[in-house]
Formats: sequence, C-alpha cells, structure tokens
Amino acid sequence: MSIDFKQNYFQLFGLPVQYELDKSKLASAFRELQAKHHPDRFASGTDEQRRIAQQITSFINTAQDTLKQPRLRARYLLELAGVDFDDERDTTSDMAFLMAQMERREALEQVSQADDPFDAIDALSKSVRAEQSGLELDFVEDLDAGNLDDAKQIVLKLKFFERLMGEIKQLEEKLEDDAS
Amino acid sequence: MALLQISEPGMSTAPHEHRLAVGIDLGTTNSLVAAVRSGEASTLPDEQGRHLLPSVVRYMDDGSIIVGDKAKAALGLDIHNTIASAKRLLGRAVNEIKTLGGQLPYRFVEGDSAVPQIKTRSGNVTAIEVSAEILRALKDRAEESLGGELTGAVITVPAYFDDAQRQATKDAARLAGLNVFRLLNEPTAAAVAYGLDQKAEVDNQVIAIYDLGGGTFDVSLLRLNKGVFEVMSTGGDSALGGDDFDHVIAEWLLKSIDQQAEPDAQLLRDAMIEARRAKEALTDASEVSVSLADWQGNLTLDQFNTLIEPLVKKTLMACRRAVRDAGVEKEEIAEVVMVGGSTRVPLVRQRVGEFFERPPLVDIDPDKVVAIGASIQADVLAGNKPDSEMLLLDVTPLSLGLETYGGLVEKVISRNTTIPIVRAQEFTTFKDHQTAMTIHVLQGERETVEENRSLAKFALRGIPPMVAGAARIKVTFQVDADGLLSVMAEEESTGVRAAVEVKPSYGLSDGEIESMIRASMENAKADVEQRRLREQQVEADRSMQALDAAMAADADQLLTAEEKQTLLVARAALAEARNSDDAEAVKAAIRQLEHTAEFYVARRMDSNIQTAMSGHNITEFER
Repeated sequence: MSIDFKQNYFQLFGLPVQYELDKSKLASAFRELQAKHHPDRFASGTDEQRRIAQQITSFINTAQDTLKQPRLRARYLLELAGVDFDDERDTTSDMAFLMAQMERREALEQVSQADDPFDAIDALSKSVRAEQSGLELDFVEDLDAGNLDDAKQIVLKLKFFERLMGEIKQLEEKLEDDAS
Repeated sequence: MALLQISEPGMSTAPHEHRLAVGIDLGTTNSLVAAVRSGEASTLPDEQGRHLLPSVVRYMDDGSIIVGDKAKAALGLDIHNTIASAKRLLGRAVNEIKTLGGQLPYRFVEGDSAVPQIKTRSGNVTAIEVSAEILRALKDRAEESLGGELTGAVITVPAYFDDAQRQATKDAARLAGLNVFRLLNEPTAAAVAYGLDQKAEVDNQVIAIYDLGGGTFDVSLLRLNKGVFEVMSTGGDSALGGDDFDHVIAEWLLKSIDQQAEPDAQLLRDAMIEARRAKEALTDASEVSVSLADWQGNLTLDQFNTLIEPLVKKTLMACRRAVRDAGVEKEEIAEVVMVGGSTRVPLVRQRVGEFFERPPLVDIDPDKVVAIGASIQADVLAGNKPDSEMLLLDVTPLSLGLETYGGLVEKVISRNTTIPIVRAQEFTTFKDHQTAMTIHVLQGERETVEENRSLAKFALRGIPPMVAGAARIKVTFQVDADGLLSVMAEEESTGVRAAVEVKPSYGLSDGEIESMIRASMENAKADVEQRRLREQQVEADRSMQALDAAMAADADQLLTAEEKQTLLVARAALAEARNSDDAEAVKAAIRQLEHTAEFYVARRMDSNIQTAMSGHNITEFER
C-alpha cells in the first residue's frame, strides 16, 4: 500500500490545479484515501506498516488542510508556479492597505464600548469577510494573467486578515464569557 | 488457573480466534471497562455486579494498593493516601497543579522530572501511576470475566486533552501492561455506541455530544461521513458538573435550617449527602421530602430547577460557542447524544433539547455509553471485523505554534486540523554569525507566549555562522494518530543538518517508564521497603534544607547560641541516620529534629516572617 509523494496536492485528490475548489469533491476524495491508508487499518499490523500508514496519512492530511484553507491554497498555487515565500520577512508594502488595517484594529478595540458590542463585532467581521472575498477574486485574476508578484502581495494581505479574524473571534469569546 | 495460562501477551489466541480487546473509559470520578461479546457490546461488572469503578486509589500501610469503592470509602478519612480525580492531574506540571491545589488535599512534592508527585505513605506517586492502578484493576477484571489475556485496548480521553495529557494517559496504560490500540476521544466513542456511523440518514451530518459528568462538562461537535468521524469543535467547562448541582441544593438546605452558627464539617457532609439523594430522587419525582439536622421540608422539582438553572445555562453557552467554532448552523445538527450521569436530570434534558431543537438520545446508560463505544472500536482494531468500514479521524484540540519576536506566537498547526499531520515553518537568524537558536513550542489559541501553554523548549545548535537572515531554519511539527507531537528543527540553506526531536515535557521518559515497570515487577515487599527508605531519605534532605534555609535567614535574630547548638545537634543526628539503610531510624531522626525545632517554627510564625520559608518546607515543619 503506497502513494506517490511527488504528485501535487490537487493531483492527490483528483482535482484541477486552480483556486476555485470543489469542496465536496475534496471531502469525498479525502475520506476515500483516509479509509484506505489510515494507521488504524494496521492497528494489529507490523510497526513498519503502521509507520508507512502514518506517513501517508500525514501527507493526505497536510494536503487537505492546505487546499481547504483559502490563503494556504493560494500560496500553494504560487509555490507550484515557482514563487518563493519567506515566512519571516515577506510582508506587504502597500501603505494604504496597512493604514486600513490599523483603522480596523482601532475599530476592534472600540467594540467593547459600543452600545451593543455583539452587533458591532458582527458588522466588523462582515466587512473583513467582504474585503477578503474581494481579494480572493483579485488573486484569481492575477494568477490567471500571470501577475505572480501581485498575486503574492494578495496572499500576504490575506495573512493580515487571518490574524484579524482570529482576534475578532477571541474578542467575541471574551464578550460571551463576560455576558454569561 | 493462572499456571495453565502461561503465554505471551497478544499470543494467547490462535489466528482465527476472536481476539480479546476492551474499551476503557478512564474517568475523573468513575472508570469502566467494556467488551464486545457475541456481537454485543456491554460493560463488564466486578464480582459484586458493580459496573462503575470509582477512580480512587488508596495506598495502604502494608504496601498494598486498593482501587475502587473501598478506596472511595476512605476518601474523607485517609486523605493523604487516598487519591481521587487523578485524571485532572495527568500531564500537568507542578505549577499548573498549584492553581488546582486549593481543592486538592494532597501533599505535592517536586521530583527530579517535571512530573509532579504526591506524597503517600508508600512513597511518592505520580498521577500516571495512580491512573495505571485504575487501568490495571480494569484489565484484571476484563481478563477474569473474558477468560484470557487482552490483545489490546482502546482508552478514551476528553477531546480537548492536549499532547502532554494524551502522552500521560498512554504512559499509564503502558505501566498497567496494556497494549493501547488507540486513544479515542470520548465524544467519538459515545457516537459510535449509538451506531451513528452506521446510520445512513445521519451520513454527512453533524452530531453534538453533550457530556455532563460529576465534575466536568464537555460539548463536542462531530461530522461523520461513511464511517469517518471528524471532530469539528470542542468546548466545555472543566469545573462544572453534577457535583455543583449537589452544592446548590446543599446551600439551599443549609439556608433552610436557618442556623446561626457556622456549620461544622459533619453538617456540611450531611447536607451534601442529602442534596445528592434529593437530586437523584427528582429524576422521576416532582417533589421529594428532605431533612437536615432537626429540620424537615420538601424540595419540589420547580425549586430544584430554579436552583440549577444558572448552571445549565452555562453549559448552553459553551454549546453555542462549540456550534460557532464548528462553523455550522444549529439546524445542521442531526443528533444530540447525552453522556454522563448528570444528563439524567430532567431540566438538563429539556434545556438541551430546546437548545438544539431536537430530543437528545438517552437510550444507552449515560454512564456507560463512552466505554461501550470504545469497546466497539477496540473490537474492530483487534481485527475481529475485517469488513468494517469504521474509521475514526481526530483533530488537534488546540493550535500548536512557536515563539517568535516580542513574545508572540506563530501558529504552525491550527486547532481542529485532522491528524496525523506534518507541517513545517521557516525561520531565520536575526544576528550575524548566530550559531544557535531556541525553539519554544507552545499550545493554545492566544497571541502571546504567556497566555499559551509551553510544551517544550530546545536549542538548535551548530548553525553555520552567516549574516543575519541568511540561515533558513525549518521547524517541522509532526502530530501522530494519537495526537502526540514531535518537533524537529534543521538548518537547510547550506545543506548542514542539525535536527532535534522533543517529547512533551510532562510525560515520562521511556527510561522512567521502564524503571517503573521493572520496579513494580520486583518483589513487592522489598520494593515497598526500598521506597519507604528512599522516601524517608528525601524527606530528611528536605527537612535539613528547610532548617538550613530558615537558620540562614533569621537564626541570629531569633535564636540564642545555645538554642542554635541544640538544633545543630539534632540536624547532625539526622544527617547520620539518613545514610543508614534503616527507614525507621531516618523517620525517627526526622521526628526528633522536627520536635526540637518546634519552638523555632513557632517563634518564626510569631515574628511574622514565615514567608521567608518557601512553600512546602513550612508545612514540613508544621507537622
């Protein structure tokens, strides 16, 4: 029992190499592969079998996780196209974008003082999500047109939004705790 | 009988024979073992017909160990040697336990490793060893009633159990001589018990597991598809359970008797017992007569409901959050499974039903449902059902990440990622000619290091000297199918490789486990004697250190030269006894020193400088 570790994540699940994703197809291909390769299938097998199963499932899971998350999927597409990422030093240089991010952070800080904090936070996360979807459309355009540098900028911006959404979620949980 | 069964574990059955495998619910309050027999999964009772084994272990004077009901009976009487709720301590570090410490009567001591130890009369024990005793009792019970050796077991853990806690659970199983097929999340086990994985109409649907035990509350959302379970989210409250229902009733009782004086311990105990009885009676009655001291009265179901309503509401808040974390709408939830004895309370069933907008599943005994589900999976993993399609996928309960600049955490694997998984992240050096880098592994959802849990810290050395930013350090996180993490770091820009693997800090090392297993196999009596001596020696060292520290701090202000001399003589006597191999002699010398030092301790207290003595040292002297 083995798989080809050299194939890319899209090929692994029999999906086209593109940003748009057929989620249900990914889910069913994922489960099919898991059913075949999961270490539990070899619970009473040899150590060797279990080790290989572990490697294969790790690959399947990493692939699935990458494709499922929009930013990671976008980044992976660029990597497949030969774009290099440096986790620590890459950052966007779009000043207008950075200013807008700071304003959003200020808005986030003021949520707790709003008349209805839950409404305020809902509005904020809605606007972030809208902005995110806009960026995703731009990404597909840039990728298709071969503007890989611009596309990379968008991936870096998406990371900002991911962090911001994380903070929004944390604040939401805190508000709920305080309310309960 | 035992002589006729000489065989290696796992080798006792012929290839086509049914392999004996069990599911074990290792609970905070009670534990159970279940097995599939003739196609039917059921929990296995002890000789007296009791299915629940209280998760309590008592260490006796003669070195023997008692587990279960008998141990539980001694809970209030022999507090230092009777360990309950060890599950709460599994995989925890000493400082974390101190925050729990208020509720726990045990005497904690810091051992050589990061694993905290509890001082008992038969030596220091870890939560892992206590849990191993419980597992061993269940293993013995199972082998007795199934009539053979077990090939393996599935042990359940809460879905939110982190890496260290899972590792500790596995360590305990190994100590108990169990072959662990798999650790299984408790909610997943409950869903399996109801056969939800076999139900076509639940396919690709979300199910909620509401688990309200004696002292903990957990809620989990799972999605299942063609026999594959995915944990979508988990939530809960580790300090909320049926015991809190007892508390609010007990408070009500105490208020009702309108006693002026502060209630004594006996009255409090009576109130708790009566509260528990009333709660259980109200499962199928609308009113129950209650009494406490000279007072008699009635508690109606309505009154009871009013008392516990805030507690039930708290659980629903956690449900709300779990639903949102899973990213689903309530309407998508196809089934709600009730787990834990406290879900017998009518108001709980009613409110949960209202919240999820459907009646919850309650047919299987909520105390047994987790063990039953685990036994079904154990049966499959043992290879007894080759055609079964069942496959249980798990996710990481918490995000895993690394410390970066400014004490911030960079997530490498986010919460709810399906495992096993491998993920790598690149870092670089920030100083010229930097040859080493500290890798700090953290677990949790918060942004800063302090707010997350530190799992491991290690250094990557041998990085070739380069200008800042030129090195490429790849840190790889790997989580296996049981949720156990290993981290590796390597410098890759020059092809020079330096890799380090870490194990979680709060588990036991393989060496420690081996020595424990070996120790437990040695002649029991000699073992106990050895342990007693070791324990007394450690205690002797501690007493002497405490005295030294105290005298260094204030002997000049508080003691006359003569008093000082007396203390030093007692100390010297202890130092001598410590090096003998007579535990009793060491013990006597410790007592002598403590007795001699009593006036000194009292004087230190009086002079209000007891803070100078650190933590447990002061209690050593108090005793």
